[in-house]
Amino acid sequence: MEDMRIRRIGPPITVRPPRFAGRLHDARTATAVGRWLGAAIAVCFMTGLISHYLQRPPDWLAGALPSRPAWGYRITQGLHVAAGIAAIPLLMAKLWTVYPRLFVWPALRSVRHGLERLSVAVLVAASVFQLGTGLLNTVQWYPWPFSFVPVHFAVAWLLLGALVLHIAVKYPKITSHWSRRSPGTLELPAEDGPDRRSLLAGVAAAVGAVTLTTVGQSLTPLRRFDLLAPRHPDHGPQGLPVNRTAAAARVGPANVADWRLTVTGPRSYTLTLDQLAALPQHTVTLPIACVEGWSKSARWTGVRVQDLLERAGAPPGTALRAVSLERRGAYRVMEMGGGYTDDPLTLLALRLNGEVLSLDHGYPARIIAPNRPGVWQTKWVSRIEAVL
Amino acid sequence: MRLLLGAAGIALMTVGLSLLVTGGQFRDVALWLAGAVVLHDLLIAPLVLVIGLLLALLPARGLLRGAFVGAGCLTVIALPVLLAPGTPRNPSVLPLDYPRNWLLSLAAVAAVTGAVLTGRWLSVRWARRNRAGGRR
Repeated sequence: MEDMRIRRIGPPITVRPPRFAGRLHDARTATAVGRWLGAAIAVCFMTGLISHYLQRPPDWLAGALPSRPAWGYRITQGLHVAAGIAAIPLLMAKLWTVYPRLFVWPALRSVRHGLERLSVAVLVAASVFQLGTGLLNTVQWYPWPFSFVPVHFAVAWLLLGALVLHIAVKYPKITSHWSRRSPGTLELPAEDGPDRRSLLAGVAAAVGAVTLTTVGQSLTPLRRFDLLAPRHPDHGPQGLPVNRTAAAARVGPANVADWRLTVTGPRSYTLTLDQLAALPQHTVTLPIACVEGWSKSARWTGVRVQDLLERAGAPPGTALRAVSLERRGAYRVMEMGGGYTDDPLTLLALRLNGEVLSLDHGYPARIIAPNRPGVWQTKWVSRIEAVL
Repeated sequence: MRLLLGAAGIALMTVGLSLLVTGGQFRDVALWLAGAVVLHDLLIAPLVLVIGLLLALLPARGLLRGAFVGAGCLTVIALPVLLAPGTPRNPSVLPLDYPRNWLLSLAAVAAVTGAVLTGRWLSVRWARRNRAGGRR
């Protein structure tokens, strides 16, 4: 006893959870922000799912993918990235609101309480993880040791599940704080009302600010406000951004010097560039829409894939496999279902906005198809196989 | 209904977990997931709370808080384009002058905040003068 008293010179040090004197860490604020955040996450999940299955369709789906609307992928992937960016202010505001709950005392009341806290931990982890990795992916920065696509896809399910569970757990609180006149809201101090509205207005303004400064990368009329997006519609060879340059794909002028197009099918044939250019040419307006969120529309001129396949004796709606000259890369060999090959908008393009394709845009010939992710708009195509 | 919703949530989480486990990168991902929580709970949140406490000392707190939230969020989304390592060999990736644009966006927040403050101050003065004029 004596010993202990001597040692205690200062005041006794005890670890106590911090107390939060600030206002607005309440259920009404959490509900008002949370429903917008929930909506943004739902949009991200749905559009992400669409993108995932457009990029890597299972066999049963590949033939059924629709080529219309032509601007479909541009909208869904633009929304995916825009909703993800808009969710960042919402997530920060939501976490600020509920932060004191991290320090509830006692930390664990029961098994149920423990499970509930665990599910919230998963929700917080998955949402910060998804928005963080997604944002870094748009600048092609990968500081983590795992591959982005499968992990972003898996954690998306984890996030959606944790969110649905969270809504189920908090359902009574959400409904009792849904509006300004809801019973739970009315029990909160009335003088907090104006302060809360001012906070929500600030968060809404932040959502507007981050959206306005980035959305121009896909919503081209707003390109003048594109200050902070990793892409800009006006920056790129021939006025169109490029995801993979010829240098990165190791395609040089020497590789395309004596280029031939081989089309295989019941009546296989080979064409030189001049012979290909002598076939009936069509001009279509289609966007390049990248999985990283940027997109831009352009005018493409070339030969209909329909016509190339028909010339090889393949029946309408035949799937194809296109092989690129690039040496390696996950997208060197592209497969395209009958829904796309049968669409008159799907071209093997030779020209972009009236000019011959530059090497970075896939000279001598590239695929351009409606409603498809940019990575499958295969460049430097040297071989097309009818898949019968 | 709530039970069904909760069960659906757990089922979806199971899908995600099984995708992670079968993906073979579970340990790394778990580490980064935990890191995300640590990053927020031990760094971002305390920082925001301290700034919030400082803001509470100032007049026009609501407006300045909005400005802080806006500037902070713009900074967060600008961090990747500002800090991405290496010079991209692709001229259409990161083509803009991001430090300049980031400062521009912060200046715009400051300008809007200043305009609203001035507008409020003018309208208060206007109301006072009108009241004084009515008395005369």
